[in-house]
Amino acid sequence: MAGTANVREDASLLSRLDRALFRVEGWMTVVAGLLVLGLMALAVVSVGGRNFFDRPLPGYVDWIEQVMPAIALLGVAYTQRLGGHIRLDLVIGRLRGRPLWAMEWIGTLLTLLLALVLIWGSWSHFLRSFDLGQPLWSRDSSIDIGLPIWPAKLVVPVALAVLALRLCLQLAGFGRGLRDGGTPPAVPLMESAAEVAAAEAAAIEGDAPETRR
Amino acid sequence: MSPLDIGLWVTGGLLALVALGVRVGFAAAIAGVAGLIWIFWEKKDYAWDELGWAMGVAVKTAGQVPHAKTASQSLSLIPIFILIGYLAYQAGLTRALFEAAKRWIAWLPGGLAVATVFATAGFAAVSGASVATSAVFARIAIPEMLAIGYDRRFAAGVVAAAGTLASLIPPSAILVIYAIIVEQDVGKLLLAGFLPGAFSALVYGALVVGLAMAWRGLGPPVRGFTWGERMRSLPGAMPIFAVIALIILFVYNPFGEAFGTPTEGGAISAALILAIALVKGTKWRDLRSAIVETAKLTAMIFAIIWGVLIYVRFLGFADLPGAFSDWIAGLEQSPMLTLILILLAYAVLGMFMDAIGMLLLTLPIVYPAVVALNGGPGVAAADSPFGLSSTEVGIWFGILVVKMAEFCLITPPIGLNCFVVAGVREDLSVQDVFQGVTPFFIADALTIAGLVAFPGIVLWLPRLLGI
Repeated sequence: MAGTANVREDASLLSRLDRALFRVEGWMTVVAGLLVLGLMALAVVSVGGRNFFDRPLPGYVDWIEQVMPAIALLGVAYTQRLGGHIRLDLVIGRLRGRPLWAMEWIGTLLTLLLALVLIWGSWSHFLRSFDLGQPLWSRDSSIDIGLPIWPAKLVVPVALAVLALRLCLQLAGFGRGLRDGGTPPAVPLMESAAEVAAAEAAAIEGDAPETRR
Repeated sequence: MSPLDIGLWVTGGLLALVALGVRVGFAAAIAGVAGLIWIFWEKKDYAWDELGWAMGVAVKTAGQVPHAKTASQSLSLIPIFILIGYLAYQAGLTRALFEAAKRWIAWLPGGLAVATVFATAGFAAVSGASVATSAVFARIAIPEMLAIGYDRRFAAGVVAAAGTLASLIPPSAILVIYAIIVEQDVGKLLLAGFLPGAFSALVYGALVVGLAMAWRGLGPPVRGFTWGERMRSLPGAMPIFAVIALIILFVYNPFGEAFGTPTEGGAISAALILAIALVKGTKWRDLRSAIVETAKLTAMIFAIIWGVLIYVRFLGFADLPGAFSDWIAGLEQSPMLTLILILLAYAVLGMFMDAIGMLLLTLPIVYPAVVALNGGPGVAAADSPFGLSSTEVGIWFGILVVKMAEFCLITPPIGLNCFVVAGVREDLSVQDVFQGVTPFFIADALTIAGLVAFPGIVLWLPRLLGI
C-alpha cells in the first residue's frame, strides 16, 4: 500500500543491497502478519471451544506468549526501511541537503549502536534458556503446556540483527548524501503526514472504483 | 551525583534526541541503556575497571525487555485491533456505511452531514485511524454534499471533525496502550471510552442540525428514500456495528469469567470482517497488503513500547517519577488547575507528535504525578481533591488525554485532519477547512470541559463493572 515510493532506487551497489534486504524484510513482515491471523484463529477456536463444545483450548495463553514477540518484532526492520517509526520532525523536517543528511547520519549511528547493544543483551537472554543437553534444548518452559521458551527469545536478536543490517545500509546512504550533497538511494525520504494519509486514501479508493470522481 | 540527578540528565538527553528527530522508541531505548550504564557505574564510583561490569549488567537488563515485555496476553489486543482496521478497509465497508447512514438520516436539516458524522465516526472507531478515515470520507462524502448545494467549508469541517472520534469508541488500540503503560484494567478503559465517544458524535450531530436550521442553505435536507431502500442498505453497514457491539459485549462480559476475553471478542470481529472481505472476492494481493500493513503498524507501536519500557527500567533506579510526583503534589495551587495545565501541555505537544508516541513517552513520569495529585495510590474517593479513587482517576485521566490528542487533530494552526482534508480536495484551502471545523472545535472544547468537570460521565460504565 504505502509502497516504496519514498526510497530512491538506482543501479548502485548500495541500492541493489537495499532492495535485496528489503525482500528479506518483506517476507519477515508477511510472517508477522500471518502470525497475527494465526493469533486471531487461535482466539476464535479458544472462545468457540470453551463456550460451545465445553472443551477449552489447552495452552492458549502459552501460545499467545509464544507468538507475540515475533508479531511485535519481525517487522521492525521493514518499518525502518520505509521510515515508518514515529519521530518528531519539527526540526529535522526543515533541514535540506547536507545538514539534513548529517543529522540523519548521527541519529542512524546512535540507533545502530543501540541495536548492536540489544543484540548482545537479547542473545544472552536467549542463551540463558537454551541448552543443547536438555529435552527440547530448553532450560525453561511455559507454565501450562510446557512449550520451550527459547524460540520466542531467539526472535529478538534475529529481528534486531536484520535491523542492524538495515541501519548499516542507511548509514552508508546518508554518508553518500553527505559526501555528494545530492539525494542518496536506500534511505527513507520525508513525506508530510498529510501526503502519507492522502496516498493511503488513494490506495483504498483504488479498491472501490465506483467512488472515483 | 545522586540517582535523581542522573535521571534528570538522561531525561534531558532523551528530549534532545527526540527533538533532533531520532525515532521516539529508539531514542527512549538509547536513553534507557545509557542511563542504566551510568547509574550502575556511579555505584562503583566511576572506577575504570568497573565500566565493563556496569555495561554488562545494563545491557543484560535492557536486553530482556523486548522479549519479556511483549510476550503478553493483554498486549495481544493491539495487533488484533489493528488487523480489524486494515481488513475493514479491504472489505469496502466505507461506502456501504455512508450509503446506509444517508438513507436513514438524510431527511434531517443538514442530514447528509449528520450521516457523514455517524458514518465517519463509526468507520474511524473500527479502523482506529483518525487521519486516514478523514482522508477517505473527504473523497466519499464531500462530493455528495457539494452536489446538493452544501457550503463547502461546512462539508469539509464535518469530515475533518468526525474523523477524530476514532480513539474513544471501541475498539481502540490507543486506550489499550494507555491501560498497559499505567497498569490499569484494559476492559474498564475500553468501556470508559464508549460514552464520551458516542456523546461527542451526538454533540457533532446535534450541532450540524442546529447550524443547518439556523442558516438555510448551509445544508438542505434530502428526502425521498423509501423504507425498502433503507432496509436494503442495512446489511452492508451491519459489520461496523457488529464489531463495536462485539467488543463491548466481550469487555462488559455479562456471562461471567469463562465466557471470553476482549482479545477473543476482537478476534471474532476480525474473523467476521475477514469473512466479508473473502465473500466479496478480495484478492490475495489486497489481503497480503492488509496483513503487511498490520504487521508494520504493530512493529512501529511495539518498538515504542519496548523502547519506552527500557527507559522505564532505568527510571525505576533513578526515581525520577517519585520526585516529579512529590513536586506536583506539593504545588501551592488547586489540583484542578494543575490538571488543566497538564492537559494543556498535551494539547501543545499533540500538535507536533503522534498521539501514541506522545502518550508512551510522557506517561511513565506524568501518570504517577496525576495519581499523586489525587492524593496518591490507594486513596479513598472521599479523601481526594477530585472525589475519585486512584483507579478512577487513572481511567478518567486516560480518557481525557486521548480526547485531548484527538482534539489536537482539528486545532489550528496545525491540526493534521484539516490539512489532510484540504490535501485530498484541491478546491479547498486549509483556511477553508479550519473555518468549517470551528463550530466542532468549540463543541469539543466544551465537551472536554464537561468531562473534566463531571468525571461521572466517563466513569459511569466502568462503575457498572465495579471498580
